[in-house]
Amino acid sequence: MRIWLLALCCLVLAGCTTSRARVAAPELTTPVTAGSAGLLVKPVARLALLTVAGLTERRDDWSRDAATHLAAGFQAELAKRDHPFNLVDLSGQMEGRTGQVLRLNEAVGDTIQTYEFGAQRLPTKAKGFDWTLGEGTRLLRGDSGADHALFVTARGTWSSPGRKVLLVGAAIIGTPIPMGSQTLSASLVDLRTGRVIWYNQALAGPADDMRTPEGAQALAASVLKGAPL
Amino acid sequence: MIRTVSALALAFCLWGSALAAPAADTVMRSANLRPASGSPEAGLWQASDEAETYARQSADLDSDPVLGAYVRNLICKLAPEYCGELRILVMTRPVLNATAAPNGYVEVYSGLMLRSRTESELAYVLGHEISHFARNHALAQWQRNKTRGNVTLAIQVGVSVVAIAAMASVANSGDFYAPNKIDYIGDAAQTLSDLAYIHGLATYFAYSREDESEADRLGQIRAHGVGYDPWAAPAIWQSVGAEVRASEYPEVRKSLARATIFDTHPLTEDRIEALKRAAGSTPHQTAEESRAEEQAYRAIIRPHLAVWLRDDLRRRDLGQSLHLISRLEAVGEDLGLLAYYRGEAYRQRHRDGDLSSALAAYRLSITHADAPAEAWRELGEAESRAGNAPAAIRALETYLTRAPGSEDRWLIESELETLKASHS
Repeated sequence: MRIWLLALCCLVLAGCTTSRARVAAPELTTPVTAGSAGLLVKPVARLALLTVAGLTERRDDWSRDAATHLAAGFQAELAKRDHPFNLVDLSGQMEGRTGQVLRLNEAVGDTIQTYEFGAQRLPTKAKGFDWTLGEGTRLLRGDSGADHALFVTARGTWSSPGRKVLLVGAAIIGTPIPMGSQTLSASLVDLRTGRVIWYNQALAGPADDMRTPEGAQALAASVLKGAPL
Repeated sequence: MIRTVSALALAFCLWGSALAAPAADTVMRSANLRPASGSPEAGLWQASDEAETYARQSADLDSDPVLGAYVRNLICKLAPEYCGELRILVMTRPVLNATAAPNGYVEVYSGLMLRSRTESELAYVLGHEISHFARNHALAQWQRNKTRGNVTLAIQVGVSVVAIAAMASVANSGDFYAPNKIDYIGDAAQTLSDLAYIHGLATYFAYSREDESEADRLGQIRAHGVGYDPWAAPAIWQSVGAEVRASEYPEVRKSLARATIFDTHPLTEDRIEALKRAAGSTPHQTAEESRAEEQAYRAIIRPHLAVWLRDDLRRRDLGQSLHLISRLEAVGEDLGLLAYYRGEAYRQRHRDGDLSSALAAYRLSITHADAPAEAWRELGEAESRAGNAPAAIRALETYLTRAPGSEDRWLIESELETLKASHS
């Protein structure tokens, strides 16, 4: 009986995109400068095919399409809010100090994923959400005068048809096998202080396929839900 | 039931033979290849592009344009057909290695350049990497991985299905020993599944070894084709072997002789034999030719020698470092610098007798014109430890004259004061 309930829960949950945001305490945030625009950093997507035997095979076309659609999707969703954001491509600025700040952001993002969304907590980060990149982030403001930057990263796999057949077969003999899944994470950084003021990670539902414009925008909407913008 | 188990075993054997025959053609990839979007190869390229972006920002990246141009020219000489698409990054990393990614970005480690005795040796290793690129081994490896994964899975599924059918038939037979028999079938099926998995892994490593042997052979041919000594190919592996045997650590020393079905690279001895056979009747260089090539190559790497040696000592396998320094000394040049690093290796190793060996090495170093200023500082420290205060004072004072702007000046001055006070 219990297994059926569990299966039902899984089915219900599998139907929609789920996310749980982390927000910095109000005293750690600084009010937005009136009239300023934020930076939406061109999203990064690393997507792959999950082969029958469970290997991940990188797909350049999916990764590229998803990055483009996510950029458009986030722009469309952010346009609905009061605080405007401009899309910027920083991939050409990976040299020098700016590149160091961008890599630090990646490292901090990975650490947030591990210790805020994983099973373990860092003892020093147990109370509240308190992460910062330091004031080096001012370099990213450049001439834009932007207060915030939004970083978006997508990772994930889709099961090959063979893998899906295997899932059904394995389910019959009661062996669970992992299937493809996609996660999208978004990090809002205050460029004046370097503080990560909000971070959200979403597990995409099957309806929200980021390789399509609609799916990417729907995902963007789910991830941005509750963002302090 | 015996029949069931033998059917499972047969399935396993069939699979083994299905994968045994590798394609033996040696078609080289065409120049300026661009994989079709959506293909597995395009995926590998995208991942390699990202790795390249990171490598270009790495602090390990050597920024000397002269050294970069030297390696680039060497690669273009070896592979004029890929000259336009291979992008060379020299990385300051103290191990013998070089890589060529499917997208054409090549990493050449300083540890390789430091260990190459001649340009011929370096050319052979670069030829090896170019051959991995030319034969697209990374893609072939990936495709084999995929096939092997799928076949392993198919075997495991087949084993499970046969085992379940057998268990069901035993369960329905009403046999008193049915539970024991079911356990037995389950265990047999699990064993076969595991064997399929292990066999799959072993084939992976076997193919990997084959690719390495092919790259060895093609690299040697490529380098020989543009005039390099084919005997340099076995020679560099012999040096590697000798260095490994000089390691401080028993585990490292033993690693040469240990063969398992999971080895990715051919055993060094086998490689050396194969490369010697391939060099065949090519006459060896004369002593003069060999010396001239060593000296020409040393002139290229000389500006980096000190930094690369310092990095090598940081690997903290000082037995290997001392062996490497001996090899470098055999050329008969840079003796002051090499003696200084020999002293440093002894001092850092700090085993019985090492401190007096270090002192002797520093003393020898300063007799050569190319001794670095640090040699006098370390000589001073060593003399002081040995209780020779006047010699220590002379050496430290020379250090301050030779390195007037050094950061540790204040420290040395205070040490000199102490030494002079206690001596007078």
